[in-house]
Amino acid sequence: MREKVARPDEVRRWPGDFPVAHRYTPGLAGDAFLTALRDRGAILGSRCERCAYTYVPTRLFCERCFAELDAGVELGPEGTLVSFTIGFVGLEGEPLDRPVTLGLVRLDGADAVLLHHVLDPGDEPLEIGERVAVVLRAPEERTGSILDILGFAVAEAESD
Amino acid sequence: MSGTRVAVVGAGMTRFMRRAQETGKELAWEAARAALDSCELTLADVDAVCLTSAPDAFDGVHMKGEYLSDGAGGFGKPFIRTYVGGGSGVFTAIQGWYTVASGMFDVALLVAEEKMSSTQPHPQGAFLTIFDNILERPLGPNLLWIFALEMNRYMSAYGLDKRDIASVAVKNKRNAAGHPAALLGQADITVDDVLASEVLAWPVQRLDVSPISDGAVAVVVASEEAAKRITDRPVWIEGVGWNLDTTYWTNRDLVYPEYVENAARMAYDMAGVKEPRRQIHVAEPYDPFDYKELHHLEGLLLFEKGKAPEAARDGVLDREGDLPSCPSGGLLGVGNPIAAAGLMKIAELFWQLRGEAGARQVPGTPERGVAQAWGDLMQVGTVVVMGNDGGPPKTAAGLPVVQTPPYTAGGHPLSDGGFRSALGAVDHRLGARYSWDAGVAVGRFLDGLRAGKILGRECRRCERVLVPPRMFCERCFRETDGWIEVEHTGTVQTYSICHVSWDMQPLDPPEMPAVISIDGSDGGFLHMLGEVDPDGVRIGMDVEAVWKPVGERAGSILDIDHFRPRRQS
Ligand SMILES: [Zn+2]
Repeated sequence: MREKVARPDEVRRWPGDFPVAHRYTPGLAGDAFLTALRDRGAILGSRCERCAYTYVPTRLFCERCFAELDAGVELGPEGTLVSFTIGFVGLEGEPLDRPVTLGLVRLDGADAVLLHHVLDPGDEPLEIGERVAVVLRAPEERTGSILDILGFAVAEAESD
Repeated sequence: MSGTRVAVVGAGMTRFMRRAQETGKELAWEAARAALDSCELTLADVDAVCLTSAPDAFDGVHMKGEYLSDGAGGFGKPFIRTYVGGGSGVFTAIQGWYTVASGMFDVALLVAEEKMSSTQPHPQGAFLTIFDNILERPLGPNLLWIFALEMNRYMSAYGLDKRDIASVAVKNKRNAAGHPAALLGQADITVDDVLASEVLAWPVQRLDVSPISDGAVAVVVASEEAAKRITDRPVWIEGVGWNLDTTYWTNRDLVYPEYVENAARMAYDMAGVKEPRRQIHVAEPYDPFDYKELHHLEGLLLFEKGKAPEAARDGVLDREGDLPSCPSGGLLGVGNPIAAAGLMKIAELFWQLRGEAGARQVPGTPERGVAQAWGDLMQVGTVVVMGNDGGPPKTAAGLPVVQTPPYTAGGHPLSDGGFRSALGAVDHRLGARYSWDAGVAVGRFLDGLRAGKILGRECRRCERVLVPPRMFCERCFRETDGWIEVEHTGTVQTYSICHVSWDMQPLDPPEMPAVISIDGSDGGFLHMLGEVDPDGVRIGMDVEAVWKPVGERAGSILDIDHFRPRRQS
């Protein structure tokens, strides 16, 4: 037995929500990463010698072989742009006043890549494979957040 | 049963904590690594990974299975998450059994993780949408209601003494004092302490309830051939069973968990267990509330209906008793990180049946045990029977081999202050809003309420009138046959006096939720009692609907304002 909806405005509905909020804490490895970023402006990673793979941000364990890792390597501050995208619309599909550029960067010394903003690409089109460098917030403004990194900027070309 | 025999060969767990500093995936890794270490395997020896974790809303991560996969050892392997609410932890052992029994994989790593402390203001918020969004949620339900309603019904049906039920909480918290991973072990707790604890939703008091927790547990299972290579003391999965009852929980008699019996019979048949009370030597039934352990022991056919409470009182369930129940300390004592708590029961049977449970070891040489969990909307039973083929091996001196189980050293509790001030902590509100459609049957039911009628649907094959109505009968799977108007009166099937809101804020005056069996139907629904003193409410009391004035009705369950004691006509 099926009933057709003849009067959609009279369909019985009940509005509601899912009343949960969350507080996420960074965990053991995340704590080491954010502390070094805030206090020293350093970007730390974790190296698994057995798998010859360097993770960034830090990890408590190697997902490939399950070895316990430490936050023992400092990466960057320069790296290579692996991919990027330019966003012209917001979450609701609204046009953005200023397009947002996001890049995946393999920091020097790392195997994993890091996602962050690409700052002021300027008029020159970005190119995959281009050299970029981390731009940090001023030390007194850092709070221990991924936003202590402002983003990546295209690295100054080496003078020849 | 076809397929290879499957054994548990290793187990590990984190501490269960009120709040862990570790992320969910870090907890999962600590447990998984401990389980592998316990049987001297590495991740490379694992052919497939089975993960379980309860609602995504606890960790606040959508697609939590994928999020947890690296910590569970899923990188580059066949990996899947299953989920049957609170039944999940034991179900993962069932999943591990068929993953290996199928012959597809030799060694599987089973991981259960829960991080409930992320949820604000209270993890109960994640449970509210398990209630029917049209017919129950407008009443402002609280998860405690369904436990309180079931417990009251159970107590009333058999005339049980709350002291006997409270003795389960005492036993488990005392047992947990011997568990190095326990959150709430307490060697000196008494029944009077439980009975003196805060009343949350009568008859449920604070110490009748297990604590919300963070934690993870992992177990390694292997085929017969692989198991014999890995260990000289495999513990066999002899039987598995699982079963689901109707989602219309207000249509069930809450006195007895038939779905647990169905799951137990399936597992016992497979294990060749014909006399459970004689052939099961140690039990780990699911104990999120003290009465639930007793309910489940009856469903597991280990006690006659209504007889488990006196067994608890008389010490039969103690570690040294005739049928040790929850020697681990259970959810009430070790803690209740939901999915992890279920798998902890499998790990406990593994340790008990190997003679490795240390301070918690049950005396004698138990040869067979049963673990069980329960969940969803009071409706799923998951059961696993495990055995050691005739007792753990003896040392040359004839003494049992006893060693401390390989728990992880991991697990860093985080204090309230540490949580509030944690570096880099991020707060986020889910902000998901919905508009739920009533659908065909309930839409018509709501039209009826607006007109001052309670409507049901008749199933002529099953000879029952369904309230709340549905267009199909879930028993015979036919379309139901027609609408029928039922009475405005009914009886109180069960009730609670609830003193807290869902986020644990005090309520004054208390609320009186009840399941009302509606006259002229075979069903009933959840509603509120009014115009009666809390002390005057009784199960079986005749009640009648009190309607809102016609002009205020909106086509809602709230068009009935409440039910009150029936006035003699
Ligand atoms: Zn590695």
